[in-house]
Amino acid sequence: MHEDYINIILADDDEDDRLFFCDAFDELKITTRVKTFNDGVYLMDYLNAEDSVFPNILFLDLNMPRKSGLECLKEIKKNDKFKDIAIAIYSTSASEEDIEKTFIMGANIYIKKPNDFKTLKKVLEEVVTINWQYYTNGLNKDNFLLRL
Amino acid sequence: MPSRIFKKSWLIKSIFFISAFVILIIGGTTYKKIEDLSQSSDLLTKTYKTNVELEKIFSHLKDAETGQQGFIITNDPIYLEPYNIGRENINYSFAELKVLGSDNTTLQNNLKELNVLIDKRMWYFEKSFRFSSVGNYNDENFKENFLNGKKTMDTIRGKIKGMIDTGNQLLNKRQEAYESNLKLTPMFLYVVLLLSLMLMFATYSKIISDLKKIKAANEQLEIFKESTKQSEIIGLQGNWIWDIEERTFTYSDNLYRLIGEKPQSFQPTLDNFVNFVHPEDIEKFRKDIDRMMAKNEDLPFIYYRIIQKNGTIKHFKTCAKLHRNLDGKRQLLGITTDITTEIEHFKTLEERNLELERNNKELSAFNYVASHDLQEPLRKIQTFLSRFEDKEAHKLSESGMMYMDRIKNAATRMRMLIDDLLQFSRTNKADKAFELADINILLKNAQQDLAESITDEKAIITSNKFPSIKVIPFQIQQLFSNLISNSLKYKSKDRIPEIRIIYNKAKASDEPIILNPKKPYYHKITITDNGIGFENKYAENIFVLFNRLHGKHEYSGTGIGLSICKKIVENHQGFIFANGKPNVGATFTIYFPYL
Amino acid sequence: MFIISSKFTRQIFLMKLHLKFDFNAICRKVLDEKLLEHNIKHKIIGFGEVKLLEKLSADRLESFSNDLKEYSIEIVENQKSILVQKIKDTITDMVFNNETATNLKASAYLSDTLGHSYGYLSNLFSEVTYTSIENFIIIQKIEYTKQLIINENLNLTEIAFKLNYSSVAHLSTQFKNTTGITPSAFQRIITKRRELN
Repeated sequence: MHEDYINIILADDDEDDRLFFCDAFDELKITTRVKTFNDGVYLMDYLNAEDSVFPNILFLDLNMPRKSGLECLKEIKKNDKFKDIAIAIYSTSASEEDIEKTFIMGANIYIKKPNDFKTLKKVLEEVVTINWQYYTNGLNKDNFLLRL
Repeated sequence: MPSRIFKKSWLIKSIFFISAFVILIIGGTTYKKIEDLSQSSDLLTKTYKTNVELEKIFSHLKDAETGQQGFIITNDPIYLEPYNIGRENINYSFAELKVLGSDNTTLQNNLKELNVLIDKRMWYFEKSFRFSSVGNYNDENFKENFLNGKKTMDTIRGKIKGMIDTGNQLLNKRQEAYESNLKLTPMFLYVVLLLSLMLMFATYSKIISDLKKIKAANEQLEIFKESTKQSEIIGLQGNWIWDIEERTFTYSDNLYRLIGEKPQSFQPTLDNFVNFVHPEDIEKFRKDIDRMMAKNEDLPFIYYRIIQKNGTIKHFKTCAKLHRNLDGKRQLLGITTDITTEIEHFKTLEERNLELERNNKELSAFNYVASHDLQEPLRKIQTFLSRFEDKEAHKLSESGMMYMDRIKNAATRMRMLIDDLLQFSRTNKADKAFELADINILLKNAQQDLAESITDEKAIITSNKFPSIKVIPFQIQQLFSNLISNSLKYKSKDRIPEIRIIYNKAKASDEPIILNPKKPYYHKITITDNGIGFENKYAENIFVLFNRLHGKHEYSGTGIGLSICKKIVENHQGFIFANGKPNVGATFTIYFPYL
Repeated sequence: MFIISSKFTRQIFLMKLHLKFDFNAICRKVLDEKLLEHNIKHKIIGFGEVKLLEKLSADRLESFSNDLKEYSIEIVENQKSILVQKIKDTITDMVFNNETATNLKASAYLSDTLGHSYGYLSNLFSEVTYTSIENFIIIQKIEYTKQLIINENLNLTEIAFKLNYSSVAHLSTQFKNTTGITPSAFQRIITKRRELN
């Protein structure tokens, strides 16, 4: 299962957040390939394309123009071919109800965007590591819930 | 009441019929008795007459005999005269007797026998005349004939005596019957008369008492009618009756007033009424009324508008109920109410509600957007700051470092404020579902949320058992969480924090602190700590948004936490009170309605 | 060898089965079948380790290796990786299957079982996996906790006892720290998720 790198996709309309996200992964030891999309429509177009490479983890911002993170989540969960993708919600807000709702809808990870870069790095590292555990150690992915 | 009286009328009716029947009987019996009496006296007369005639016959026979004897002795025809007259008279008497005995077979038979005997006697007379005319008195034949005449005469005497005796016996019997009849009849009549008099008297008193009741009922009815009229006017109501059998309407006076007309100023027909109905509502109105009239069924509430002649539009509400009066006649009793003011009030209320709702929505949307959208730039400021610190801090002077620290602190504080504000704005009741939740679990979850700081402070939290209560679970967990963290934050520096959470059921009347209880019983939760406490004069202030009792630098806090608690409790129709004693601790008491 | 939890009988009307897998057993079975298919004399020693009883040519090894890729099974040649895999297998076995082992200190159990000092194992593990043995044990325990919550319907007290935690609070805190959510929230989410599907 392990390739040389971990495939990561982020869909977020905020340029700064995309920058932080990429910078954080650049500084991590883990070898990753990060792809970013500006909104849900671009993301879904990519995922639905024939030759697309599915990410190991897909980070979704909830608030996006055109197609929101929730809509993407719904579409992805409906389609069986995406079943191996771990979905991480990556959002500014974190109300208990929002979190539970997205988990119930099938998200695996909920990340409240951290306030500083160090935390961001830590969080992303943890996500990737734990997700990797799920891929490599036969953990039941259906029970994979992580909130950071 | 009236129906009771009407039921009694059956009693009266039956009494009347019984009385009439009794009087008829009295009449009939009296007639019969009198008839009997006259018959009796007729019979008496007849018997007497018969007896008299029989006596006469015998005396005529005697006359004839005397005449015959005279003639035989003297042979003078002068003596034949009484004999001839006697014979004639016998014939008269006989004719008379035949008439008298026409309805008496015994008498008739006796008469026939008597007739034979008399004829025989006469024959002996004639025969002896023939002997005497020749003067042959010693002739044996004559003697025999004479003796036979005497014997026949004796038989006749016996026969007549017998007949008279029979007649007398009959007479006596009749006399007796007649007398007893005479004696019993007045007695019977008197008793029957007395009875019927009593009945009539009873009927009379009954009628009088019923009349009194009817009068009282009528008076009440009159009052009722008057008050109905008044209430019709005050309540803007009109009554109408649809007589199913007669197929006619009756409108009350006020119904005319409701449509702006003078009472009874037009024929109470459906068409005349429909003329006033608002054109847009006519179709539906007609349909509803037609259905009612066709099926003779209750009319459910129907709503329509009417236009008065002066152009005023009124909102009406009408309903009708099928009613069967005492005679079993079916009627639909309808009530029509002018609900214009209600509708107008309702409309304004609805508008205000909508406005309020809009305001509320706007406010919470504003709140949410403000705090949510404020977060993004702030988060970026903070993240860039951390990047800056990592990469560029070594290039900064000392004061530059200090400025950066200050910026960081300010940003952190701003973040706290925004977070709490966001939480406050989320603590809304609308669209939150109440569900039966195990409060023990919610408390446990709240403790789990705070596990880190509880462990850090080595705090001791004790609680007793809670029941399951219908609540918004998230919010109750939040409530516990806020109160516990409040206690932990304002802990005393000298003591290990101890928090006691106690549940019990409370009677509203036993809790004077609840000023206007809406429920008789409440769930009461007290949370007591041994922290720094507060002056009781601030007990109410601490729940006010952004209100803080301490300087920002002493205790970090935004002054929103307890406001959220208050909001949560109010969302649950509950109450929250704080009670403090400086350096001893604080107690928060929460009441939730016991449903 | 599927172990189907008794819980699914209740769900069968939903036309949906909730399964519990023994991944080790599955892998072992697959491995066994594949080895037989390729006519390789072998002995499966432990988790992720097969002793070959004959020498394999590079060609046969490659075709076997390609066949296994279908099942995402990789032939690990690196000795370090093998040892890490052994550590993981030992831990998984310890947590999931060997309750008596759970009672022992994990470090002692690992060094005893694998014949290396714990310090060596720990360093090696961190180097290869970017995470610590302790962390891995916790993840496995929490994973087992999740399974017990969902499939066995055990409550947290029973689980804490079964997994040899000093208190319910300890397990609960560890669960929250590892997953970011409380055990009850976890149970609620999974239940609602199943209802939704």
